[in-house]
Amino acid sequence: MSSVAERPADAFVDRTVVLRFLLSGAFWLVFAPTIGVILSIKFNFYDFLGGVPWLTWGRLRPVHVMGVVFGAFTTTIFGLTYYMVPRLCGVRMYKESWSRAIFWLWNLGFTAALISLPLGQNLGIEAGEFPTWANVLVEIVFVMITIQVIMTIARRREKLIYVTLWYLTAAYVWTVFNYAFGHFLLPFHFAGVNNAAMHGLYIHYVVGLWITPAGLAVIYYFLPLAAQRPLYSHKLSLIGFWSLAFFYPFVGTHHYIYSPIPYWTQTIAIVASMMLIIPVWTVIQNFYGTMVGNWRRFQQSYTAKFLVIGALFYLLGCFQGSTEALREVQRLTHFTDFVIAHSHLTVFGTFILWVTAGLYYVIPRLSGRELYSRKLAQWHYWLTIGGFSVMAGVLTLQGLLQGEMLQSGADFVESMVAMKPYWFTRTLAGVTMDIGAILGMWNLYMTAVGGRALAKSPAHAPEPRWA
Amino acid sequence: MEPDDSEHAEINRYEYSGIEERHGIIPAWLIAVFTVLGVWMVYYLVRFWRPA
Repeated sequence: MSSVAERPADAFVDRTVVLRFLLSGAFWLVFAPTIGVILSIKFNFYDFLGGVPWLTWGRLRPVHVMGVVFGAFTTTIFGLTYYMVPRLCGVRMYKESWSRAIFWLWNLGFTAALISLPLGQNLGIEAGEFPTWANVLVEIVFVMITIQVIMTIARRREKLIYVTLWYLTAAYVWTVFNYAFGHFLLPFHFAGVNNAAMHGLYIHYVVGLWITPAGLAVIYYFLPLAAQRPLYSHKLSLIGFWSLAFFYPFVGTHHYIYSPIPYWTQTIAIVASMMLIIPVWTVIQNFYGTMVGNWRRFQQSYTAKFLVIGALFYLLGCFQGSTEALREVQRLTHFTDFVIAHSHLTVFGTFILWVTAGLYYVIPRLSGRELYSRKLAQWHYWLTIGGFSVMAGVLTLQGLLQGEMLQSGADFVESMVAMKPYWFTRTLAGVTMDIGAILGMWNLYMTAVGGRALAKSPAHAPEPRWA
Repeated sequence: MEPDDSEHAEINRYEYSGIEERHGIIPAWLIAVFTVLGVWMVYYLVRFWRPA
């Protein structure tokens, strides 16, 4: 067995596969939000692209949702999985030859599935809209990577199992079952109100049992490295993980408060939603406790910047989500843009920013190159954070206003007309974020192909600056 | 914020990834939050199990 000094940890990583996944993830990180901007324009100009059936609202929205969840986030997570797991285990990935096949299977299958949505194929389950042939492909990919992750951990040389591996293993195992449930059982074997209740569970399992644990795996891995500090508390990691695993499975039906679903199941969903404050505040304490003593890294490292700001949005978005489940708050905010603010604060503000941080950390190091342009990274950061802060703020505010108008007896159309200036601001904020994303992903692509080389061998290269 | 007790400050090192973690502490303010939420959970479940 070679020692760590003789064999750098990157020697365990299949560079080609990781970089391919991360660069394709970077493409989806631009593409999927751009569809969101197009959709937001439709709020301002109702007939924008309305003459073309496959560019209508009903067909493009699933492209945006599925593109962000399974294109931008999941593709990048796959790449980061192939980077983090071997380094945490001290061995190469189990069945490494599968990874290259998975790359093509995933990207080609996902692209075809995404194209099928505007063509009119849709399973009719929100966040589970791909046609069945595509779902078989997605399920196969998840099963293959789950086997790779579990078997790599089983063959590890590192004695301890770091918290990132707990979250990743759980995320993959949960998703293998949830994806099968949401796509092969839910659309065909549940009807009426049961279908709605089960859909509430499915969609929140996508968020809470895939996006959340996979995202937390990323920040737990990269934050101590970017901050150059030990993780604040192993004990808090345990509490955060197990409280998420215990409470999240009950959250889903909070989408159907005041519905015909049994009252006690709604109450359990509300309680579980509020109890999620425990894992969220626990991990936030762990993250900010890790930064204490080395805040200068926040200025120096774009990885640290995106992680720390993402953690702030995580705190805000999750508190919004927990309290939103309460009956009194739900009465005000249901069917309003408050819900859209919450979903964007969590999915984009938190998890997309965290995987973006992962890109900034891994791409320069694996390609052995300096970040191509610090100025582009700066523009990426500020346009993203500035644009997104405006978007989240505007959506939250207009949600509360809509709710207030509807509660005070205003006509629904009247409440829509009153939202016009807010929707326009949201579009401008989205365009700002999109420009930031284009600059950022171009910067990362150029880093991989044309950044200044740090050393002859990427495996022995010194640390890149700013990444 | 800094755990200073020697047991809490004990560090696990993950040699292949270069990550370190403290055994760490659970801050008192978080324990207070857990307690309040636990009490509220019991109250809410009992009070709102059925519609009033």
